[in-house]
Amino acid sequence: MTRRSRLLHQALAIVAVLIGWEILGRQMGDALLSPPSLVAREYVALVADGTMLSELAGSLRQMVAGFGLACVVGMPLGIAMGRSRLWDVMVHPWVSMCVVTSVAALVPLFLLLFGSGFQFRLAIVFMASVWYIVLTAYHGARGVSSRVLEVGRAFAASPFQQFWKILLPALYPYLITGARIGLVHAIRAMVVAEMYVIVGYGGLIHKTGLQTSTAPLLGLLFTLMLVSLLANQTLRWFGRWLAPWYNERSATV
Amino acid sequence: MPVPAADRPRRMRPWAPPAPVLYGLSLVAGLVAWELVAGRFSRVVLAPPSAVLRHLSVHLRSFELPALLIQSLGHMLLGYGCAIVVAVPLGFLIGRSERAFVMCDPIINALYAIPSIAFVPFLVIWCGLFFWARAALVFLMCVFDILVTVAAGARNVPAGLLDVGRAFGASGAFLFRTVLLPASLPFLFTAFRLGLVRALVAMVTAELFFAAVNLGAYMQAAANRFDSAGLLAVLSILALLGLGAQEGLKALEVWLLPWHGRSDA
Repeated sequence: MTRRSRLLHQALAIVAVLIGWEILGRQMGDALLSPPSLVAREYVALVADGTMLSELAGSLRQMVAGFGLACVVGMPLGIAMGRSRLWDVMVHPWVSMCVVTSVAALVPLFLLLFGSGFQFRLAIVFMASVWYIVLTAYHGARGVSSRVLEVGRAFAASPFQQFWKILLPALYPYLITGARIGLVHAIRAMVVAEMYVIVGYGGLIHKTGLQTSTAPLLGLLFTLMLVSLLANQTLRWFGRWLAPWYNERSATV
Repeated sequence: MPVPAADRPRRMRPWAPPAPVLYGLSLVAGLVAWELVAGRFSRVVLAPPSAVLRHLSVHLRSFELPALLIQSLGHMLLGYGCAIVVAVPLGFLIGRSERAFVMCDPIINALYAIPSIAFVPFLVIWCGLFFWARAALVFLMCVFDILVTVAAGARNVPAGLLDVGRAFGASGAFLFRTVLLPASLPFLFTAFRLGLVRALVAMVTAELFFAAVNLGAYMQAAANRFDSAGLLAVLSILALLGLGAQEGLKALEVWLLPWHGRSDA
């Protein structure tokens, strides 16, 4: 397919979805499913009001703190696990257990541990994203070809140089992919934690859900979608800039 | 077949004990560390593993926790089953038809970007607070993961396989049944596994975010009486259940599809 016909098809599909939603929305009514025409009008009001954006900014700041911490802890841990058998066997069972555990189930426990403030949200976002970052870095570090490292050794690179100039660049694609997967989970966890204790953007979604019209609620979901897509795209660009050889390398987790 | 010790290839590190022993050691080390850390906190905030084990043994023997778990599985299985029924055919369609892929890809990406939990207010409006709402949330939380995995797998079925089938005159349903389906089993298994883990996560999420029932209600009650041992007991059950489901499906795959060598551990 040419680029033009791709774009044409995509535009067609989106228009079809919007028309279907409009018809469905008019039949079901505003209280059950707002049609997009109404949502668009309501969205302008939401942006002008400012509450949505200020809550979003506050929530995202906390999410980024938790996600950053997860990257700082998770990436070295994953690399250590991938390169050292001792680290692997000591940490792996716990990582596998944590990665399959529901973040929502951690919420009641973390409320006891940390209260409902900044620490709580930081811990939830951290716990939701760190294991995916660890596992992706781990798979990457395990897969680094020993031939590449041997070249370094043959040219008498010091262990530090081997790590910094050979191993780490080979891992960039995995680190970026891990960060992207982790970020998706971080945003989900942010909403989970905030909807449970009813603060921030998640709290706003909960409160808006109690109104009779669903138009503002759909507007909030739309913003969340934009944020998530934008964050993902930014990391992808960053990956291409950092490692031009970066291609969509997905590790099975 | 057991290999005599003398014939085994020499390992690089002959002192390394076998993996199960090391995993056991890791679990013990982790539990000891937890016990020591928990000793510095109040029992209310972080219970030591010994207290969690006591709680588990009491409530497992009284059959209270297993009964709750079995009730929880009801909405999980319904939502997971519906997700498979919807996502697998749709995934094949998107994966095998370039036009369908181009048209659906942006829409799926957009919907997938919204955290499923944010749909909870909608599900309350549409399905209420009880069984159907929980099943709907499980469906929403695992359908996209299954769909995306199936579509990616179906796109990557080697064209050579299909060409050979066509060269021998196979087409339509026959080609699907004899070539495409066997070639698809590996990624179908992956999709079922990822979906099941997500569905188990969604199972307890739904019980906490709608009217609290079963394990969700048990956790809320424990939280209300500051019983962190009870919370950790449920969490450990969920972790083991998720791990068991994941490893069980992996083992089933190895058993059913021995020709498909797994590249990832």
